Amino acid sequence: MTDETQLAPTTTPVTPRALGRRQWPLPKLADPAAPLLEVDNLTTQFALPSGAVHAVDGVSFRLDYGEALGIAGESGCGKTTTALSLVRLLPANARITSGSVRLYGIDLVPKSENALRRYRWREISIVFQGAMNALNPVQRVQDQIAEPIQERLSVSPRAARKRAAELLELVGIPKKRGSAYPHELSGGMRQRAMIAMALACDPAIVIGDEPTTALDVMVQAQILALLERLRDQLGLSLILITHDLSVIAETCDRVLVMYAGKVAEEGPVPDVFTRPRHPYTQKLLSAFPNIRADRRTLDVIPGSPPDLRTPPPGCRFAPRCPLAMPVCSQVVPPEVTFDGVRVACHLYPAGSSGQPVPVPLAPPIAAAAPDPAGESVA
Amino acid sequence: MTAPTLPADVLRDDAARPRFDTGRNLPGRLVRRPDALIGLAILAAFAVLAIAPDLLVGPLQTAITAEGPRLRGPMPGFPLGTDELGRDMLNLTVHASRISMVIGLLATIITVVIGALLGVVSGFVGGWLDGILMRIADFFLVIPTFVLAIILTSIIRDVVGSGAREVFGIRFGLIAIIIVIGITSWSSTARIIRSQTLSLRERAFVDRARVVGAGPGYIMRRHILPNVINLIVANAVLVFAGAVLTETTLSFVGLGDPFQPSWGQLLDAAREVDAPGLGAWWYFAPPGICIVLVVFAFTLVGGALDDILNPKRRQRR
Amino acid sequence: MGSGYLARRLVTAVVTIALILVVNFFLFRAMPGSPERILGRNPNVTPELLAEKRAAWGLDKPVIPDQLVRYIGSTLQGDLGFSILARGQSVTDVLAQRIWPTIILFGLGEILAIIIGLTLGAYSGWRRGGPVDYIGNGISLLLYSAPYFLIGMAFLLVFASALHWFPTFGMLTSGTGNADLGARLVDFLAHLALPLATVAIGLVGQYAIVMRSSVIETLSEDYVTTARAMGLKEGRILRRHALPNAMLPTVTLIAINLGYVVAGAITVEIVFNWPGLGTLTVEALSARDYPVLQGVFLLLSVAVVLANLVADLVYGVLDPRVRT
Repeated sequence: MTDETQLAPTTTPVTPRALGRRQWPLPKLADPAAPLLEVDNLTTQFALPSGAVHAVDGVSFRLDYGEALGIAGESGCGKTTTALSLVRLLPANARITSGSVRLYGIDLVPKSENALRRYRWREISIVFQGAMNALNPVQRVQDQIAEPIQERLSVSPRAARKRAAELLELVGIPKKRGSAYPHELSGGMRQRAMIAMALACDPAIVIGDEPTTALDVMVQAQILALLERLRDQLGLSLILITHDLSVIAETCDRVLVMYAGKVAEEGPVPDVFTRPRHPYTQKLLSAFPNIRADRRTLDVIPGSPPDLRTPPPGCRFAPRCPLAMPVCSQVVPPEVTFDGVRVACHLYPAGSSGQPVPVPLAPPIAAAAPDPAGESVA
Repeated sequence: MTAPTLPADVLRDDAARPRFDTGRNLPGRLVRRPDALIGLAILAAFAVLAIAPDLLVGPLQTAITAEGPRLRGPMPGFPLGTDELGRDMLNLTVHASRISMVIGLLATIITVVIGALLGVVSGFVGGWLDGILMRIADFFLVIPTFVLAIILTSIIRDVVGSGAREVFGIRFGLIAIIIVIGITSWSSTARIIRSQTLSLRERAFVDRARVVGAGPGYIMRRHILPNVINLIVANAVLVFAGAVLTETTLSFVGLGDPFQPSWGQLLDAAREVDAPGLGAWWYFAPPGICIVLVVFAFTLVGGALDDILNPKRRQRR
Repeated sequence: MGSGYLARRLVTAVVTIALILVVNFFLFRAMPGSPERILGRNPNVTPELLAEKRAAWGLDKPVIPDQLVRYIGSTLQGDLGFSILARGQSVTDVLAQRIWPTIILFGLGEILAIIIGLTLGAYSGWRRGGPVDYIGNGISLLLYSAPYFLIGMAFLLVFASALHWFPTFGMLTSGTGNADLGARLVDFLAHLALPLATVAIGLVGQYAIVMRSSVIETLSEDYVTTARAMGLKEGRILRRHALPNAMLPTVTLIAINLGYVVAGAITVEIVFNWPGLGTLTVEALSARDYPVLQGVFLLLSVAVVLANLVADLVYGVLDPRVRT
């Protein structure tokens, strides 16, 4: 569970007005005092013919009203599966085996498919990666935006179309382009359309799964600026999933770093990016070329992520970690919280106050990491 | 300009994966699939029947050598019954395997040779030649080639005459069928090979050959062709199935040769004596079942080959 | 719909028909039963008479362009020559007599096959897996490997001669010409049943297989995942998102298939002695009645080209991406 001393959430009161222009009431079971989203020890398992894979293994985090959380990590670390597990959009061979997902204090995990549908799109919506395929090629864009409004909010087709037009304007698509088909729009426009679709039912949380990966840099900047604006205007909470740390640095308040299905590190963006604690985070950040520093060869992380059918005992990053100690390959590191940051690494054992355990190893990797370390190589 | 946040080794592996299969160890991978195995087993059985029918059932029975009662069902000595001349259906069906399979094989060779040739040249040379060839190919794909085949076959027969001379053990009249099938079926092969040639043409090794000064003929022979061979083989299997079906249908409408009956010709004969109406199922069931089995087997093997050579489609599953 | 798309399709259709006419013309020249050759074999015909006849038929003019133009001209006016077998009846008349039974059999068969095949395929793809799916798929594959006429013969055997549920051949029982309309209609339908079933079943297998794989592929597309994420009802996702996209390859297949279906239809008519263009083809073939054969070829080819055009237009309506 997250520590009480974590940074306090934004202090907006939890009334419908705080949720921006939201015009539809909260679900009946909502607890106004609970945090917006609280995920506790979530575990999602895929049943493959070669064995069970825990793509998400004991992940916990919290999202507060108006906050933007970035989930970072390499391909296959479980970030997308985590997001899809929130609304249970999993393929047939996957299921949530343990943990809870509390939205307004309501646990979504034990709910039946029908009961869960109430929350899809109206509370949590998703902007998928690569909007070319995420839009129905034979349906006009404005109809695709109007569809959830009409179907999920029981609104007349005319009112739905009107609202769709408003949404198009909100995301910066000229009204006459609304009658276009997806293939007639540019990549940036399509992504905007997907964002408009995601906002259709005034959700509390919008999940962006690699929302800018398929776009070029200029358009990327525009989309991120749009997301920022919408956050302010509508009081949206965002979960941004991406492997691109620059996007998280620019847009998010807090960052959650995942590796091989587990949480490596979590905390406010300024803290984690200037003082990464977990060696994996350090490596990720150092692989990011600094535009002002001298040119040097790219710092790569040797090896590849573990096969999740047979994860290594202990810390999953241990085989690739330059600071690995004997205990790392035996015991799973506990999550420890200090200074508003949460880390799962044996460098910070339980009860640590933020000083890493000294490791007799090579000099530190990232220039930003100030940990003292011995000179001799293990 | 975006930060390369993926570890470089992961990025490198991704780029190295080939976009299409180069077909290594094709026979090995083929027999590992159960559907391909079934298909190959069936085809092997029919190949045996086709190669040496005389050894298995004796020479082809004719009206003169027929011994059995006319049009009677299965009985001792005639496990598959007799036709209206008293010939043993088993004998006829096995010999018909040879005719049908050989005609199918020869027609397939002609079709694939024409199709592959035109496909490679068209794809590699491009330009107006490609345009014209593909227009012609599309023409053959659109029109009902069957009616055209009927007309062409009868014209060729009437002009050339159908005597007792044999080529590859097939009488002249049936050669016309082989040629006509070849002329009318090459289009889809050509289109498929052309597609592959187009994508091969853009690859680095072709550019290298050009830079060195190799002529187009050389490049087509030494570089393009070896890389389309696997595709040609996969396509040939399906063409074979189609050729057998086409020959069967052409024979059924009366273009077969009663002296060298194929399965289709047997079915034609069955219809002429009104076998279905008379309940003489043994007359058309054996050739019919053989046709279905053979085409089914080819479809299985062809589908398996297609699966193996198209990894992108494989991923979708 | 973009006029560009429409125009391109029309032009392609016209060019193809033109090619068909040219091919037909050269076939006409090649056919052994050409009138001048027949006349030439007659010992009583003097060289002057032969020359006179050739002039009358326009055969002394050069092949291209004169004869070709003349041929195309007369064809477009509906003059397709005269039937040898039907003793001088114009080919056009002969075709006109035999075309309606084929249209009825073939048209109804296609419609039935489209409705049943697409529905079966969609259901199969939607509820994937399970014994019904595998068995259905296996049967479809087997049916796909069997020539239509074989299926027809099997039906004939089982339902007509063994069970006596249906008559064995023809379109109408002779002698019912004077009965009332109702009885005639029933008689007609009884005769239609088996050949129709044969054509329909032959096609259903193919359409079901393609629709099934199309639906399976569509269901794994991202926009279906989006629709699910939206919480839309499953039925709506299938109807509004999956099916409209899954239909596209199926329409293409139906169009491509038309040429092959013609072969099948001809043979089915033969098996059941259905008095349509198929049986006409076989009669003309055995009598070497080339004018009729060419007339059939022309008619069927043009029909297939036009049907392809219609299919292209339908596709243009269904898929906005090709309209630009």
